[in-house]
Amino acid sequence: MTLASNPLRRGLIEDRSGDPCALVIFGASGDLTTRKLVPAVFNLGLSRSLPSGFAVVGVARRHKTNDQFRAEMKDGVARFSRRKPDPALWKDFERKISYVVGSFEDPATYTSLREHLDELAREHGIGGNHLYYLAVPPSEFSTIVGHLKRAGLVADPAQERAGGAWTRIIIEKPFGHDLASSRELNDCIASAFAESQVFRIDHYLGKETVQNLLVFRFANSLWEPLWSREHVDHVQITVAEEIGVEGRGKFFEQTGVTKDIVENHLMQLLCLTAMEPPNSLSADAVRDEKVKVLRSLRRMDASMVREGVVRGQYGRGFVKGEEVRAYREEPDVAKDSNVETYVAMKVLVDNWRWGGVPFYVRAGKRLARKVTEIAIQFKKVPHNLFNVSDGGISQNVLAVRVQPDEGIALRFTTKEPGNATVLRDVAMDFRYGSAFGSNTPEAYERLLLDAMRGDATLFTRRDEVEEQWAFIDPVIDAWREHPSAPPIYAAGSWGPEQADDLLARDGRRWRRP
Amino acid sequence: MSAASETSGLVARLEKELRDFWTAPADPSAPPRSRVCTMNLEVVAPSTELLERYTPVVDEVTANIPARAILAAVEPDAPGDELDGAATAVCALTGDRQICSERITLTCRGNAAARAASAMEAFLVPEIPTALVWLGRVHTDDPIFEDLASEANRIILDSEYTSIGSVIQVASWARRHRNAPAISDLAWTRIAVWQEMLARFFDTPQTRDLAWKIGKLVLAQACEPGARIGPEGALMLGWIGTRLGWKTSRLAGALRIKRADGASVSIELRAVPRPAGVAPHTLAALSVEAGDDPGRPSLSGAIERELASGLGGDDTTPDADVLVWKRRAADGTESEQRVRLGPNKAAKWLEQTLHRRAHDVAFEESIAFAEQIVQDGLTAS
Repeated sequence: MTLASNPLRRGLIEDRSGDPCALVIFGASGDLTTRKLVPAVFNLGLSRSLPSGFAVVGVARRHKTNDQFRAEMKDGVARFSRRKPDPALWKDFERKISYVVGSFEDPATYTSLREHLDELAREHGIGGNHLYYLAVPPSEFSTIVGHLKRAGLVADPAQERAGGAWTRIIIEKPFGHDLASSRELNDCIASAFAESQVFRIDHYLGKETVQNLLVFRFANSLWEPLWSREHVDHVQITVAEEIGVEGRGKFFEQTGVTKDIVENHLMQLLCLTAMEPPNSLSADAVRDEKVKVLRSLRRMDASMVREGVVRGQYGRGFVKGEEVRAYREEPDVAKDSNVETYVAMKVLVDNWRWGGVPFYVRAGKRLARKVTEIAIQFKKVPHNLFNVSDGGISQNVLAVRVQPDEGIALRFTTKEPGNATVLRDVAMDFRYGSAFGSNTPEAYERLLLDAMRGDATLFTRRDEVEEQWAFIDPVIDAWREHPSAPPIYAAGSWGPEQADDLLARDGRRWRRP
Repeated sequence: MSAASETSGLVARLEKELRDFWTAPADPSAPPRSRVCTMNLEVVAPSTELLERYTPVVDEVTANIPARAILAAVEPDAPGDELDGAATAVCALTGDRQICSERITLTCRGNAAARAASAMEAFLVPEIPTALVWLGRVHTDDPIFEDLASEANRIILDSEYTSIGSVIQVASWARRHRNAPAISDLAWTRIAVWQEMLARFFDTPQTRDLAWKIGKLVLAQACEPGARIGPEGALMLGWIGTRLGWKTSRLAGALRIKRADGASVSIELRAVPRPAGVAPHTLAALSVEAGDDPGRPSLSGAIERELASGLGGDDTTPDADVLVWKRRAADGTESEQRVRLGPNKAAKWLEQTLHRRAHDVAFEESIAFAEQIVQDGLTAS
């Protein structure tokens, strides 16, 4: 059932409320629920984006009463929400929160859940719509989706198309740890849910600037003629973090930065930068174009990995004046760990638009600054009219800053005032915070609302995930087949020297964003 | 000195004052200032006193939507032929930077009022949209209005102050002109939440078709009994009527409203006491009954505003009033929801209006329907 057929919603500007539904969170005792999910839902309520028929159901093993669960959620909202609990509205919101205790392996849990959801349908008018959120490790996915299916808690998608109740499921990354495991995971989900019911969340896609990339590219005629090999020299995409593994040493030892960041966030940024204009903004039209980019990425063999990929691991150093320990000194990290905390790659997109234009991508922890940006470096002017030292006239750069200080900056060259012709680089700098204020919704708010509305544009489709792994797997395989210790870079630097060499070989250098 | 040179002298002086502002601050430890400008915001008031009252509203808006604000008090009947002005920057600290908007204030008295539009236009920043906020009564043949409106992308009125008649007149003027700016009414922005909440009654498959079968609609507004319907109520009726294909007709001069299926719709307007701090004619409640049998409705819905519940003790409005939404189906199923209406401040309404899309077909259609309601003189009992 969708809201579109309600005649009073025709042309309604404020129409951003979700479909009536119950949000069922598996793993409701975890941090994600308290820190992100319930604060996001509460903020949707404050923004009047929650439908009148709505309920949040926590499902977890720990015994607790509804009141205890509600108190925990209130505490979570008070601590982590961008807007604090509103006493006049909290009581109303609280009535919609409930808790079902049970083991995920026990069929009785799902019987209780079904009975509870039936009761909510009667009491809260959720219309039989269920949005499941798996805030649990992937190892639990198979158990939960299997039981949901057997308990009759998954609606037939044909039923939804006919205007009946719907079921959707949101899953969090990692979506596997390689192509094979990703397929296995997807097959497991597909055994119970149709792809149209699956919403794979990558919170990066919920960020305003990432969404604005589509607007920036396809709502401004200025860029399209320049956005190709004709005018672009190369592209740099940086996802840099100041923090280390922050107590996640055990997890990071299993993943490394390539699987943790490059395979998902960074690949998505690359897709949005390189994709062709979709024929509409429908979820599948946008995702089709992203998949085409992923299929155009030149797969790397071992020799290309040696030439075009640089790993690194942070050693001791200083970040913002604070001395920090090396990766191998972090808790739960092996003293001889070879896991990469930094990776830089030269990625080639073999298609008509981007043939010959390298995309240099890098991601790392304990780097000099926290910054995520996409920088389009335009070609140099073909002929230099001006007497300029220091390597000639600078290239124009268009930098799209995803975080922090979301915005867009264009670097160009001007003449300094005076009798002599002295050239100077300046930047036109547009910052979201300055122009539009900073109280923008959190990524989870946008994504949860989209899931309630059935809009999957900002979620990753199965073939996207599998193509991402198909690109990354050979890199990981090459490292596995030729094991070696990654070069150590000082914490607080911009990565190992070898990463600079990667660009220097092409006569280029990394930006210092 | 000629009038033209006087105007250009004023423009040059104010431009210089702004340039001086942007030179590096004398105190090197002061936070750096960033000039940001996403639009021109022109405000025209019929008196200096009203403009002074409205200036803090503009400053609050430009703190969130950086703009060059060009404010003018136009008083053609005031003594003296004077065109004067002042320029300043209004800054808000964001992190370690001051984000500043420029504000130019003009006073145009006596014959100098004729030059108000040309003086204001001299300060427009090119290449960005221009919104014209007109605070007084509007006469579409007023040359100042005509000049400013022709350069603006949108005109924003508040029918609470200018009357719904003014909005109707400007909307009609816009329909007659090619490339006319978009017309917005702050009252339309204020009822947006009401519209969305009303639509919620009909979101479920069981209730969706009942929207077409609304047989009774009761509005309540904060006013004395006998008062005419206010802009919010009229626009709300206009919106419902146009969404549901209602037709109006006359019977012995009295207005009758019929649904698309030909059945009559009963409309009532009730008066509720107006607490201090609440604007006259504020929409206070709305209820609907829908179904085939008027005596036994299949759906009853009510939205009630807890008037003044958002008011602070010091007559400020730190937050918005609470809206209580209730739906009852024929089988006795009931749902209830409480939401906040949105900050109840003039600045917030203007800010929200500026954020909304300028051309709104629903508004244009609704205003025409509302015109008939207003002409009918529906009064509160």
